[in-house]
Amino acid sequence: MVSGTFVEAPPLALAGEAGVRPASRETGRSRARRLAPPYLYLLPAVVLLVVWTYQPLAQTFVLSLHSWNLVPSTPMEPVGLANYEQLLSTPELGRSVWRTVVVILGMLPFTVLIPVAVALLTRRVRGRAQGVYRALVFAPMLVAPVAGAAVWQWLLDPSAGAVNRILGTDVNWLNTTGTAQLAIIVITGWHVAGFAVLVVTAGLAGINPDYAAAAKVDGASRGQVTRWVTLPLLSPTLAFLVLMTVLLSAQWTFPLIDTLTQGGPVGSTTNLYYLLWEYGFRSHDAGLAAAAGVLFFAGFIVVAAVLTRLAERLSHHDD
Amino acid sequence: MTLVSRIQLRGLTRRFGAVTAVDDVWLDIADGEFLVLLGPSGCGKSTLLRMIAGLLPPTEGTLHLGDTDITHQPPQRRDLAMVFQSYALYPHLSVARNIGFPLRARKLPRAQIRAKVAAVAETLDLTALLDRKPRELSGGQRQRVALGRALVRDPGAFLMDEPLSNLDAKLRAGTRAEIAELHRRLGATMVYVTHDQVEAMTMATRIALLDQGRLEQLGTPAEVYDRPASVFAATFLGSPAMNVLDATVLTVDGTLSARAEDIDLPLGIDATMPDRPVRLGVRPEHLTIAPPGEPGIRAVVTGVENLGSEEVAQCRSGTARVAVRGTRPLGVRTGEALTLTARPEHLHLFDVGSGRRLTWQPGAVPAAV
Repeated sequence: MVSGTFVEAPPLALAGEAGVRPASRETGRSRARRLAPPYLYLLPAVVLLVVWTYQPLAQTFVLSLHSWNLVPSTPMEPVGLANYEQLLSTPELGRSVWRTVVVILGMLPFTVLIPVAVALLTRRVRGRAQGVYRALVFAPMLVAPVAGAAVWQWLLDPSAGAVNRILGTDVNWLNTTGTAQLAIIVITGWHVAGFAVLVVTAGLAGINPDYAAAAKVDGASRGQVTRWVTLPLLSPTLAFLVLMTVLLSAQWTFPLIDTLTQGGPVGSTTNLYYLLWEYGFRSHDAGLAAAAGVLFFAGFIVVAAVLTRLAERLSHHDD
Repeated sequence: MTLVSRIQLRGLTRRFGAVTAVDDVWLDIADGEFLVLLGPSGCGKSTLLRMIAGLLPPTEGTLHLGDTDITHQPPQRRDLAMVFQSYALYPHLSVARNIGFPLRARKLPRAQIRAKVAAVAETLDLTALLDRKPRELSGGQRQRVALGRALVRDPGAFLMDEPLSNLDAKLRAGTRAEIAELHRRLGATMVYVTHDQVEAMTMATRIALLDQGRLEQLGTPAEVYDRPASVFAATFLGSPAMNVLDATVLTVDGTLSARAEDIDLPLGIDATMPDRPVRLGVRPEHLTIAPPGEPGIRAVVTGVENLGSEEVAQCRSGTARVAVRGTRPLGVRTGEALTLTARPEHLHLFDVGSGRRLTWQPGAVPAAV
């Protein structure tokens, strides 16, 4: 009789199949050549950033610790934190911060509410009419702010202006404390709303149409689809617009303020940016302006960080 | 809500500019039927489904659900549930809110929604996942949530647009069986779009085969497979596809046979008729290897594919390719010359010009060719 036993199949010897990994023998030079390209591509952008953003930022910080009247022949005097102390003790700063908040709140309807409504409505316009419609909405963005301001000044003229004639009022819009700020907000809003419509339209185009289709089949009415599906999916775009509004509103108003009110009447349209500009280029106090710039910079970093974190939490990974 | 959810498509047509995506489709989908719209990509099957769902208005034709004309009803009022190929799960809502969405849209009380969602989640094994967001789910889980969203509201009919195409092969087989089981249990009408012939063959009560927007054939899986209405239907179903060869039907000694240079197959019809060129179809599994000298298809083996339980011999007969499928081992080798034969009832004849199936009609006066 023959005796025997079962033998288990041996596991595959992977090394034998795959062969031996070739030893890497790379010279320092070829390694550099392999790793360099990404950094070379980045270089132009980095140089521009350093020259035009980071260097001036550092210079501003240095300047904020000096007293200087912008005249090249007068030397800069180091004053330590005196500029900051002076800045924080003036009531003007607090008032201008509050006015900036008002501008931001006043801008939100123009950068978020109206654009969302317009973009949602123009979705139903098809073909060439859609392009024409969007071009009309976007057109104010292409008007130079100062030119626009000149036309608005004429429209808002207290005696012959079209606005008073149409409203049947007799308001001196740009020279009354309450209405001047309102005029600045509305004109700035008119300027940037088209851009915001474009951003919202792009955001809507990025939403997979299957979601709205599914919601419709699921029985959701048009309003429910908008409220429950489209707007939540649009929230990253909306967060972006809010961020832009908070960070840039005061900047957008600058050319209008400078053309129409010069910060008045009685400083009622002097927001942060205009205040900073007044310190630097009207009072010729470069140190104080720089200190204000540094403070705003720090403040906006905090606001931007909070909003960005909020936007990230809102975004849904659509996959 | 209509109890009888018979869906009728009467001459549905959809054109996109100069392109006709769906061309005059007539279909009568009975209540409780599992109808599969089958066809290659671009055949118009998804467009057809979207028209049934109400997401796309037809250019021509009407659509009836039960006795009502729903051609112009918005999707919200059609009482149909749809599962999308992308699943279209609302990414910002949890699984529970996704499934409950159709009920919320119908303004059901919250407690009732919760109970129904829980019940559906239970049947689909989703209970543990109710608080997750879609992005935290695997493909198979997402597919089940999409199914749950359709199931939660007892719709008049279910529409499914390639619901399994994003799943891996193993999961697909399992889910296929689950959906078929669901159909049996609910007895609901289902219209199911796929390009996968296995899904169509295994799940459908009837298959509507579409090609270039037109309805090519309508029938049970067995009918469509056994009596394909055209060369397109013959070659679309089956793997490997049906062999289609050019031949001529000749009368030899009072009986018909299909002949070509390398082909001699009797058709099993004792009759006479003028010679007629045809396209001769025979499925790979119906070809057998005949002893040498017998009439049949003369071919040379160019390769043998091992499918595990079966083998496919790829052959060349003249300029045509012929596949033979049989239990492993077939016992043939590459380079070997074979004679292949098939029983007359397994031979399909198609018109050379139109590609439509030819059936023998005894006694009919043949038209001159």
